[in-house]
Amino acid sequence: MPLSILLPMVVLGIAGIAVLLHVLGLSRRATLSDAAAARAAWLREFPEDAPTQVILCRNHSAALIETAQGRGVVWPMGADTTARYLRGARVRRRKAGLTLDLPDYTAPRIRLTLSPDEAASWCALLESRV
Amino acid sequence: MSDTLTYPDVVNWAVPLFIAAILAELVWIVIKGRGGRYETRDALTSLLLGAGNVAEGIVLGFVAYGFFMVLWEITPLDLGHSVWVIALCFVLDDLRYYWVHRFGHRIRWVWASHVNHHSSQHYNLTTALRQTWTGTFTFMMAVRAPLILLGFHPAMVLFVGGLNLIYQFWIHTEAIGRLPRWVEAVMNTPSHHRVHHGRNPRYLDCNYAGVFIIWDKMFGTFVPELEREKVDYGLVHNLGTFNPLRVAFHEWIGIWRDATQPGLTWRERLMYCVMPPGWSHDNSRGTSEAIKARYLATHPEEAGTPGLPRPTAHNP
Repeated sequence: MPLSILLPMVVLGIAGIAVLLHVLGLSRRATLSDAAAARAAWLREFPEDAPTQVILCRNHSAALIETAQGRGVVWPMGADTTARYLRGARVRRRKAGLTLDLPDYTAPRIRLTLSPDEAASWCALLESRV
Repeated sequence: MSDTLTYPDVVNWAVPLFIAAILAELVWIVIKGRGGRYETRDALTSLLLGAGNVAEGIVLGFVAYGFFMVLWEITPLDLGHSVWVIALCFVLDDLRYYWVHRFGHRIRWVWASHVNHHSSQHYNLTTALRQTWTGTFTFMMAVRAPLILLGFHPAMVLFVGGLNLIYQFWIHTEAIGRLPRWVEAVMNTPSHHRVHHGRNPRYLDCNYAGVFIIWDKMFGTFVPELEREKVDYGLVHNLGTFNPLRVAFHEWIGIWRDATQPGLTWRERLMYCVMPPGWSHDNSRGTSEAIKARYLATHPEEAGTPGLPRPTAHNP
């Protein structure tokens, strides 16, 4: 197929599908319904390291996890979730919450949406024991 | 010896079909409320990786083709290009695909290229297009060498490889359950391939087939989809980014970081490149065998069920 046809078709196809998905409401992020859901999301990634404490943020978009092996975070990846330990994390305040910079090529930056007072308390917590 | 044989670039010609089928699957899911899931950023990442794969083929395709043409010059054999020869080439190339795919899961150097295909937590037709950008660097083109040396023209080998890829597109769906028994017995189907994309311990490293599932049954890597255990899609450790560059290159970066750690022997550095994913010099991580063993430690009643080893004298 000539590139003059292939290229526009690929560009329009990708853009069209992405727009359609967004219009259909399929850009919604996952939420963690309760602490049990956050715990399950953590165990899905680290089944051998059960949480000893779960701190779910108020808008249910993320959770801090305490385990025997250290502290971690669960957060939405689109309609699903993932999780990481916070070893070596750098915590930064931003307008809408916190940014966690990790030394991890597969999860370099986690943006947590938190209310100002919640961001302050999470920041203090993380900076004290990361 | 003929060296001007040409076939259509079927994968590029199938692009309109891919787009139409994705739209049809999406409409089905939205209307029926079942049969799979879509999410915008996940699908966009898959599609961009698919486009990048086509671009890589355009830019670096000459490497494999040049290698094949050198072999074609060397070989004294020419099987011609009858329909039967093309059919035989298709079957043998599918056997070649099985082994390349198996290497892709068992050799980290090859896994670094293939991992992005498994990096989505979704399983829909866009996942099929989540293809590698770095396939040339795995040198798996060498596995096609026997076909060319046997007298199958390089253009024919690439043509049947394209047909193989197109076949595999439609099996990346949850919208199709089980097909008639004879189809499930012989062909790779959505059910068999869902299992291949699973991160559940029992579903790791199985069902490598492209078109014919018989290869997995012959070589002992077949695991059926179990009604009682839903497939959990994605990687053992799921990615925390949708950035296509990071998805495409993350495992290569991982190999580099592991193999260049201070204090390793040269053998350990090499092992980080060629051992199965999850291997580490200090056993701090887990290969699929270790993951299955850890799962069995907490679920001993599952030993010997599909995808999980039986207890042995060494692993009671």
